[in-house]
Amino acid sequence: MSAPLLQMKDVFKHVPGKYALNGLDFSIPSGQVVGLLGRNGAGKTTLLECALGLRDIERGEIRLFGETPAQMTDANRARIGYVPQQTDLFEWLSVPQMLAFFKAFYPRWNDAKVDALTQRWSIPLTVPIGRLSVGEKQRLAIIRALAHDPEFLILDEPVASLDPAGRRDFLRELVERTIERETTVVFSTHILSDLERVAADVAFMREGKIILRQPLDVLEEQTRRLVGPATALPIGMFGEELARKVDTSGVANILARLSEPERILASSLAAQGVRNEAVGLEDLFIEATQ
Amino acid sequence: MTSKPIPLATALFTVSTGAGEPIYRQLVEQIRRLVAGGQLAAGDELPSVREVASALAINPMTVSKAYSLLEAAGLLERRRGVGMAVAAQHTRAQAKSERIELLRPSLERAAAEAAQLEIDSAAAVQLFDRILKGKK
Repeated sequence: MSAPLLQMKDVFKHVPGKYALNGLDFSIPSGQVVGLLGRNGAGKTTLLECALGLRDIERGEIRLFGETPAQMTDANRARIGYVPQQTDLFEWLSVPQMLAFFKAFYPRWNDAKVDALTQRWSIPLTVPIGRLSVGEKQRLAIIRALAHDPEFLILDEPVASLDPAGRRDFLRELVERTIERETTVVFSTHILSDLERVAADVAFMREGKIILRQPLDVLEEQTRRLVGPATALPIGMFGEELARKVDTSGVANILARLSEPERILASSLAAQGVRNEAVGLEDLFIEATQ
Repeated sequence: MTSKPIPLATALFTVSTGAGEPIYRQLVEQIRRLVAGGQLAAGDELPSVREVASALAINPMTVSKAYSLLEAAGLLERRRGVGMAVAAQHTRAQAKSERIELLRPSLERAAAEAAQLEIDSAAAVQLFDRILKGKK
């Protein structure tokens, strides 16, 4: 294993009224695609902005390409592509003007890719950027972030304003990039189906901390919903119960992460009328981030 | 070497999200069914990891994982310079008695749902029969 591309250790970041990052530990190994999940206000954007050095932190340690974000060299900065949640592109410029402006900052710039994407995504080239739709601006932000063939992509809800076809096209672009250049990616999103397609690892965030970090496959395989008589599903039966509801008729509905032996135990409960179901990422999200 | 064209990834596989079933497992099961049913025979090549990942917009590691598991299970074999192909021992479709077992998980799910809906077995079987025959 090589050193992680991004490493955050015990990071604190205060915003009015609370710690947006509250002793956060997070790291991303090279070549991995990590999905960052959490409810609004959990600290996802703050995490990404602090990792990039766009915001200072009160305490803790951040290393990106082995450097502290605030003192990063231009050479390392050029290895990063970033799509912010809100696109603050140069509204008075046309698309070619804006792209030419950014091109000047980077030693590497993939004109062929930029042209292909602006064409494929039908970005209007002649009008000022301020006149583009929200979806077009978001696509443009993605093009800008990909144009210098970054090794590390940081995407803060990159597809929130895109329609399903646009999202699928973007995912395909991302997949091709991870194949061709082994791009490392971290992206926050609320669109769980996208995450399910491309993320190898998921990190759940709550109140400024990462509360769960797992390969997606493992998470999906381990998490089960068990529904049956509460007497057959006593509290403490499983090590890691995420949620439990018992209705008035005594039927328990629990969500738990099961170890291998616990999985065998759970399937043996069928005889006692316990239903054992797979859990979609959406349910998992709701329970894990509560 | 086979001269049969390699099928398109989108013609072989469909991926569904939201059900809590890992995508690699969906691919594994789909390939198992295609081989069991004889649509994929010994020597038939599979689309490359890259093609599948890009066509379905899924992480390439997911596709590699599915292929590797099927290789370990002896269903696929890695061909030098070619990629993955259906292993030689699968010359013929499996016996019907074995193939029908692959339907079991789906039917067990359907049976559980029928029980919840309090639909008796005769009515459920009749519906399944109609569906199989392509009627409404």
